[in-house]
Amino acid sequence: MTPMLTVENLSASYGVVRALNDISLEVNEGEMVALLGVNGAGKSTTLKSITGVLRPVKGSIKFLGQEIANGKPEATVKRGLSLVPEGREIFGTLTVEENLRLGAFVSYQRDRYKADLKEMFELFPILEERFTQPGGLLSGGEQQMLAIARALMAHPKLLMLDEPSLGLSPAMTDQIFELIKGLRDRGSTILLVEQNAERALGIVDRAYLLASGEVQYSGTAEEIRRQVDIASVYFGGDDAAPCEVTQ
Amino acid sequence: MSLLSRFLTWSRQHSTLALLMIPLVLAGLAINAFGSSLLLNIYTYFCVSLIMVLSLQMFMGNSGILNWVHIGFVGVGAYASAILSTAPMVKSMGVPNMFPALVALNMPVIPAIMIGGLIAAVLAAIIGYPLMRLSDFVGVITLFATLIVFHVIMTQWDNVTNGPRTFFGVPEFTTLTVALIGALIAIMVAYWFRESGLGLRLRASRDDRYAAMSVGIDVVRVRYYGFITSALIAGMAGGVWAHFITSFSPKAFYMSEMFILLAMLVIGGSGSISGAFMGTTFVTIAREALRQVEGTVNNAHVLPFDVFGLTEAVMAVLMITILIWRPGGVVGGQEITWPLFKRKSPIKEVEDGV
Repeated sequence: MTPMLTVENLSASYGVVRALNDISLEVNEGEMVALLGVNGAGKSTTLKSITGVLRPVKGSIKFLGQEIANGKPEATVKRGLSLVPEGREIFGTLTVEENLRLGAFVSYQRDRYKADLKEMFELFPILEERFTQPGGLLSGGEQQMLAIARALMAHPKLLMLDEPSLGLSPAMTDQIFELIKGLRDRGSTILLVEQNAERALGIVDRAYLLASGEVQYSGTAEEIRRQVDIASVYFGGDDAAPCEVTQ
Repeated sequence: MSLLSRFLTWSRQHSTLALLMIPLVLAGLAINAFGSSLLLNIYTYFCVSLIMVLSLQMFMGNSGILNWVHIGFVGVGAYASAILSTAPMVKSMGVPNMFPALVALNMPVIPAIMIGGLIAAVLAAIIGYPLMRLSDFVGVITLFATLIVFHVIMTQWDNVTNGPRTFFGVPEFTTLTVALIGALIAIMVAYWFRESGLGLRLRASRDDRYAAMSVGIDVVRVRYYGFITSALIAGMAGGVWAHFITSFSPKAFYMSEMFILLAMLVIGGSGSISGAFMGTTFVTIAREALRQVEGTVNNAHVLPFDVFGLTEAVMAVLMITILIWRPGGVVGGQEITWPLFKRKSPIKEVEDGV
C-alpha cells in the first residue's frame, strides 16, 4: 500500500536557523499518526512545510503521489489536506454558521452542505446551540470544536491537527481527545501534532518523536512507550535533545 | 414547501434590510412632501453620502484595510460623468484647454454615471493589482500615497479636469428621489456583497489571515476583487454627487472629505451595513448642527475671533472617543436585526433554502 502522505529528507530553516534536518515520515490511509516533541522540536515547522506556508530548503513532500512542497497555502485544502491551526484560529467576528460555511467553500453544494451540517451537529451538539453567535464568544473548547468542524466541512482526505489541547482545561482536553479518537474510528486519516505525548500516545497508531529538528524515534505507540521514557523527554533527559550545561 | 414559508424565512434572516430601508424611504417621502428646501438639500446630500460610505464599507469594512484612496475613485467617477454628460458648448467655455475629443462627448446622465463607475473600477483594477499584494500596514501607507497622486493629477491635468479651477455647468439630475433610489440600491448591493461568498471570504481574511489560508482562501485575490467592486460603486456615487452639486473642483476629493467619510464609517461601525448607515446618519446630523452653531457664533460676534473648522475638530474628538470606548463603532460588527424575528433552527433554515 502506498502511503497517503510521504515526507522525505525534509529540511527547512528560518533564515539562518535550521529548524528541520532531514526528517522523513509517512501517513497511511486510515491511520492516526502523531508528531510529538517539545517546544522548538520542529513539529509546527513540519506542518508549515506541508501546508506550503514555509518553503522547505530541500526534500520532498508527496501527497497521494503528487509533489506538494512549494505549493501555495490556499491550494493545500483543495488537494484534500485540511489543517486545524494552532491556537484555535477561528474567525472571531463571524458567526458559527459562517465559519462552517467557509470550511465548506472548497466544494460547495447546498445539499451536501445541509447533510454535512447535520453531521457536525451530531458530532458537536454545542455548535447547533451557538449557530448564530459570533465564534469569538465561544469558550476555548468550543472554539477548538468549531475549528475541527470547519476543517471537516471540506471533506479532507487527511486531517492535520496542530496542538488541539493547547490552553484547554484538563477536562476539555479529555473531551477533545475523545472526539479525535471518534474521528479516527469513523475512518478519517489524521496527523496529530502534540506536546502532550502521554495523551497522544493513548489514541494514535504510530508516532514520530522529534527533537531539535530531527526524528529521534518512530514506531507504533507501544514501541515508543517502550523505547522512550516520555517524562525524560520533557525534563531534558539523555533521550531528548542533547544539551550540555557547562559551569 | 410553500413560497410563503420560504419568504418568511428569508425576511427573518434579512430583517436588517427592511430595518434600514423602510425608515430611509419614509423619511425621504415626508421630507419630499413637507420639508423646506434646506432640509431637502440636506437629505439628498445624506443619501449621496450614504452611497459613498456604503461603497467604502464594502472594501474597508469587510477587509479591515484602511482605504484612503476611496474618495479618489469618487472623484474619478464625478469627473468622468461630468465630462461625458455636460453640453459641449458649456465645456468649451468652462474648460478652455480640454482635449477636443472630450469636448465633443455628450450623452445622457444615467449612462454617464455608469461609465464613470466603470472607469473607476478599471483604474482600481490597475492600481489594486500590485497594491493588494502588500502587507497590511505598508498597503495602507501606499493607498494614502495613491490618494495624493490622484489629487495631484486632478489639480494638474487641466486638459481634462480644468486643473485646480472649478468645473461647472454639469447638468443637474440628482433630486431627492434619485439620491434615495441610489441609496436604496447601494444598501442592497453592500448588504448582498457582505453576505456573498466573496464578502464572507474577505471578512474571514480580516479576522485571521492564516486561518483564512488554511480554509483555502486566496487572500490577495479576494481583496483585489473587493477593491474593484468597491471602486465601481464609489465611481457611481461620484457621478450621482456631481449631478447634484453641478460644479466642483479637485479639493472636493481630498483629505478633509475622506476624513468625513471615514468618520461616518468608523463612528457607526465599519463591520456592518447597519453601522455604516447609522454612522452616516449621525455624522450628517452632527455636521449640520455644528454648521449652524458655527454660523450663529460667527454672525453674533460674541467671540473676538471667528470659529472655523469646528466640525472637523468635533468629529475628530468623537472618532477618538468612539475608538477608545467602542472600537467596533456604535453598532459593532453585527447587523441590527428585528428582535421579534427569532431565527429558526439552523437545519430548518438551510432546508428552507438560504
